[in-house]
Amino acid sequence: MVRAAEQRAAPEPQRGGGGAQPGTAPPGTGGGAAARGGAMLRGCGRGAAAALRGAAGSRRASGQERQGPGPGRPLEPSLLRFLVCPLSKRPLRYEESTNELVNEELGIAYPIIDGIPNMIPEAARTTRKRPPAEGSEQP
Amino acid sequence: MAAGLRPGRALLSRRRGALCALLRAARGLAARPETHFGFQNVTEAERREKIYQVFENVAEKYDVMNDSMSLGIHRVWKDILVHKMNPSPGTLLVDVAGGTGDIAFRFLNYVRSVRERQLQQKLRNHQNLSWQEISKSYQEEKSNPLGDSQVVVCDINKEMLKAGMQKAQHLGYSEGLSWVLGNAEELPFDDDKFDVYTIAFGIRNVTRIDLALQEAYRVLKPGGRFLCLEFSHVSNPLLSRLYDLYSFQVIPVLGEVIAGDWKSYQYLVESIRRFPPQEELKAMIEDAGFLKVDYQNLNSGIVAIHSGFKL
Repeated sequence: MVRAAEQRAAPEPQRGGGGAQPGTAPPGTGGGAAARGGAMLRGCGRGAAAALRGAAGSRRASGQERQGPGPGRPLEPSLLRFLVCPLSKRPLRYEESTNELVNEELGIAYPIIDGIPNMIPEAARTTRKRPPAEGSEQP
Repeated sequence: MAAGLRPGRALLSRRRGALCALLRAARGLAARPETHFGFQNVTEAERREKIYQVFENVAEKYDVMNDSMSLGIHRVWKDILVHKMNPSPGTLLVDVAGGTGDIAFRFLNYVRSVRERQLQQKLRNHQNLSWQEISKSYQEEKSNPLGDSQVVVCDINKEMLKAGMQKAQHLGYSEGLSWVLGNAEELPFDDDKFDVYTIAFGIRNVTRIDLALQEAYRVLKPGGRFLCLEFSHVSNPLLSRLYDLYSFQVIPVLGEVIAGDWKSYQYLVESIRRFPPQEELKAMIEDAGFLKVDYQNLNSGIVAIHSGFKL
């Protein structure tokens, strides 16, 4: 499992006011370059069409420009409304420094990789020295 | 005498114990967590692992394979699902096992077009608007084209989610769309949150379907709708035979030729056969607490949409 430490990032301040499009940088989705190469060719054509179609509501800044596998993207603030710990169903705290969602009671932290929170209990990291009170159960 | 009887009785009880164990083993599911992977029998843990690997392998070619296996008809099935859902702007959807985002994108398109029609209708009804009010209305459409609708795509497989995110980027979907890595049997969402829960061609791959259905019930708001699109059983004998022929002879070959993966598509076909038929799934959904559960067969039962409400 990818540790949060590998994806340490300074998250960009989210300016998601109202329905305005947040101008986030294109995601650094790590992944097979070959897969992306083929997908990009297909995507370029569709990207152009989408850009023309999406004149009314500008969506992504530039889908073509691709940064390398950059630091993990921060979490969308709207998601935090819904997310809870899958084990205890208690609310989570978003930790900006490590880009994780922390469950204080159980002492576990779920990593956020490329903007996708990994809410699988086995992937969670224990934040305390000793194992948490409730062991991470098998789903 | 009693001493003589006692070892005899002990022997009998031991034999009975062994017989019970044998019966339990024969019954299978109750005692040990044994389940199936296609036509093989495996433990639950093994099944999860194998299924994860299947989708890890097929993630990149998933859409291409869907198109070639179903001759593009899977698009129609998914369209029908979203039309049946008939979401209005402001709907919160959770799409579980939604991997590459097919349902999510359709949902966003649908809601966007409904919203446009709403705004046009509003304009048409107010004939005496000033120029200022008309331009404000257009601005409203521009700033909130989805009407606060949102869809959360949840999948257990990282590769499928990554493929979905890339597709979203290419097609230009960004607003109202979120991605979460989670397990359908243990959703990381709070109670009473979503208006609609969909699971399209995913519930077949869940190891504990009853848990997934319970979680679906939990995260839905009262009045929320559960929709499940899944391969099901064909009752027509002639069609069934043709379908079997196609499934077992053509699909794995396509899998090998297009995706270089015979085994995954063999699993796919077998898992369809192992999945409970329409009525049984309906009973399972009712067990989870849903009411007004019903199903609609598409293509004579090759695919079925099950629907239930949390009331």
